[in-house]
Amino acid sequence: MALRDQFPILQREVNGHPLVYLDNAATTQKPQVVLDAMNEYYSKSNANVHRAVHTLAGEATEGYESCRRKLKARFNAEKVIITSGTTEGINLVAHAWGRANLVKGDAIVLTEMEHHSDIVPWQMLAEERGVELRYVPVTQHFTLDMDAFHHALDGAKLVCVVHTSNVLGVRNPLEEIISASHKAGAKVLVDAAQGVPHSTVNFATFGADFMAFSAHKMCGPTGIGALLVQSETFEEMQPFMGGGDMIETVTTEGSTYQTNEHKFEAGTPRIAEAIGWSAALDWMESFDLDKEHARLVDIASWVAEELRSMGMTVYGRHEEHDAAVVSFLHPTINSEDMAHLLDSRGFAVRTGHHCAQPLLHRLGITGTVRASFYVYNTREEAEGLVEELKEITEKFA
Amino acid sequence: MTFYPEALRELVEEFQEVEDKRERLEMLFELADEIVELPADEWSDDTRVRGCQSEAHVRVSVEEGLVHVFGAADAKLVQGLMGVLSIAIEGLTPAQAVLIPVDFAQEMGLTNTLTPSRSNGFRNMYDKVMNEIRASVE
Repeated sequence: MALRDQFPILQREVNGHPLVYLDNAATTQKPQVVLDAMNEYYSKSNANVHRAVHTLAGEATEGYESCRRKLKARFNAEKVIITSGTTEGINLVAHAWGRANLVKGDAIVLTEMEHHSDIVPWQMLAEERGVELRYVPVTQHFTLDMDAFHHALDGAKLVCVVHTSNVLGVRNPLEEIISASHKAGAKVLVDAAQGVPHSTVNFATFGADFMAFSAHKMCGPTGIGALLVQSETFEEMQPFMGGGDMIETVTTEGSTYQTNEHKFEAGTPRIAEAIGWSAALDWMESFDLDKEHARLVDIASWVAEELRSMGMTVYGRHEEHDAAVVSFLHPTINSEDMAHLLDSRGFAVRTGHHCAQPLLHRLGITGTVRASFYVYNTREEAEGLVEELKEITEKFA
Repeated sequence: MTFYPEALRELVEEFQEVEDKRERLEMLFELADEIVELPADEWSDDTRVRGCQSEAHVRVSVEEGLVHVFGAADAKLVQGLMGVLSIAIEGLTPAQAVLIPVDFAQEMGLTNTLTPSRSNGFRNMYDKVMNEIRASVE
């Protein structure tokens, strides 16, 4: 079956028109195999994990842990903590590593390109611990100011950087950032929510100390993600949430903890979601992601060029390793109006600040319209978008 | 049917007759002129509607026992909804105005949800206007 045909939702109509789903940077759609896997789990194997010895509990545990095994294999990572998503992964680093290792006067380097999820947890920690936050500016070419970055490293203990901007689609020079940060004695956290869906990362050789991402941006379920941690850094983390599953023994005098990833997975985990993600990870092996990515960047680049020729402002870059994201503004049509007008013809795009207000502030705008493409999107859909934008411009500008 | 003043009832019915959402949006955009403009120099945190993706400001005044609404927004869609709200409540007494339920925008096929949330600009605008009307008579 063709790749696109495996997504039942793409068959539906919206406002009487075929759905053209271009909000993939927010979340991706799910193939039938993911829906089937989750349904099968609830229909046949639903039980709690890591506890009982009955058959169902064994099946559930195997399903949950198979997700972790597949993540370890896909990313060549030794430690994979299952989280609720990128946001929880970053917050976990702030609480489990940051609180144990950062003291008043230490510095954390962030960038203006970060999603709020990679800003707010650090602001909260900074307020609590007296840690200094340094923001690397974004240039007029939509890239990080690397000179400023190198200066900011002086005395830094942690660098938090987004792999690929959810607004601009720009992939940051991570190899340079990681190498320079380590030389300066700083750990590196990579927010890979937008990066991992478009490229495979060998975490062991990549070198970042932490990497967080979400399942739902790569055809998996919502509510689940992963935090990859290098083994030596893992040992520097202290438990954050206490509860079931994360302990070894509990007495009225105190508790001892698990030594593996379960130490950071208190409570009943997201079992169905892990099983769904596991199916999505298998499904991702059924095609050449690099080839698909090249096709999507080509589409995005073409759309961006068309929009520029129509007098729109495009914010971002569409080179080989960037994401297939086109953020734009029409010179006269308000972005919210534009999104509603597109929706009335079946096009799903995102508008607003994209949870990256510091970046938009730097760009001098309050929001954009964003079309983001994923593996099931076609050239014809992109052409349809451009045609629709021409029609809207003709009628409403 | 819920309590709608005659003008609003007619407007809701008019929108319900139009199947195409694009056409309904065009109709709504034309209603953006129905609200008395709140000039930009009167915009402040007090007039700002939270949760709108674009700038949106409203102010309510009650003079001689009748409600008047002023507003403006960057988005025609939002200002159009202000226009509808204005058609609905302009010149009513506060007691009449606060009886108008929030449902009309959904019934007109203009919003997908009326659930109160940070991002639901229309709902927040409606709540802000109604709260100001209630406050004016306390």
